[in-house]
Amino acid sequence: MFFGFMRRKKKKSAREAKERLNTMLSTRKRTVPVEEILGERITKESVGDVEHLIKRWAVERFKVGEKNVKVEFEEHNGYVVIITNITFD
Amino acid sequence: MEKVFVITSGKGGVGKTTITANLGCTLAKMGDRVCLIDADIGLKNLDVVLGLENRIIHTVVDVATGRVKPEEALVKHKTLKNLYLLPASQIATKEMVSPEDMKQIVHELYPNFDYIIIDSPAGIERGFRNAVAAAEMAIVVTTPDLPSISDADRVIGLLESSGFDTGKIRLIVNRIKPKMVKRGEMLTKEDIVEVLAIQLLGLIPDTDEMVIATNRGVPVSLNGNEGVAQTFENIAKRLKGQPVNIEEDIPAEKLSFVEAFLRLFRRTRG
Repeated sequence: MFFGFMRRKKKKSAREAKERLNTMLSTRKRTVPVEEILGERITKESVGDVEHLIKRWAVERFKVGEKNVKVEFEEHNGYVVIITNITFD
Repeated sequence: MEKVFVITSGKGGVGKTTITANLGCTLAKMGDRVCLIDADIGLKNLDVVLGLENRIIHTVVDVATGRVKPEEALVKHKTLKNLYLLPASQIATKEMVSPEDMKQIVHELYPNFDYIIIDSPAGIERGFRNAVAAAEMAIVVTTPDLPSISDADRVIGLLESSGFDTGKIRLIVNRIKPKMVKRGEMLTKEDIVEVLAIQLLGLIPDTDEMVIATNRGVPVSLNGNEGVAQTFENIAKRLKGQPVNIEEDIPAEKLSFVEAFLRLFRRTRG
């Protein structure tokens, strides 16, 4: 019984690393180029409309109501990061 | 075919500079005209790996500020006459060069070279943005450990958001230890490719050769055509569009007498 306990296989560290990696990367958000959503429409004058345009794009793309889309702007390392939360019913 | 590459990673110390130097030397050995650009302003190392640190007169900052033309700042390699280095400055900062400056420098060098390879600094700030600005293809380097793979994933995301198509991003896994992979104590190339979801360009084994070569200022690819030198040749061929099996990157395992004996014993027993 003692030897059986000694011989019990340990989980290989690579398997453990892969599991941790999958957990780490599955929660990461991927950035999407704002031009992909807004096309040529983004100019200095239209910056105020950015939120509205994103909302409209999300409504059409994900078939949700406008109230289900929340757009926030944040600055990170000199970049403007637009965070869009979409609530699905 | 693309001819302007950026070697990047996110995390520092994964081997970007060594890979840039060796890839440049290999392509030059094949007869191509190659220019290496050190974009790691302030923490430059490419000149040291190439053994050219005493030959620098002008740097990329002198070119960006218009003091000299790009051709005037180039340093010719000691033995490979078709390999040039545009060195970085140690006393300047990354903010002294802009992505537009980099584009202009590459634009001026473009007609005179078959390949231009840009060595990116670690991180994702200004130095990274400078390095990737003019590149046609990005080569992301990672080692088989979690922090490095996690940073590589972040960099791939940033490259995609700055306009790189996924097809224009390649992966090199550096410092692979085949014995550890076999024992299940290191992530396999399949594990890494699965999470990063980009095409694998090469696998570089962890060997003493690389350390010795850096000590001497002579890239390992200039030490004949065996071992890691062969790995870099495979990578260079793939960049040129030639099909080379990825398994050929890891040289066959050399067994000591005792290891060979034990293996024979295990096989007989099994």
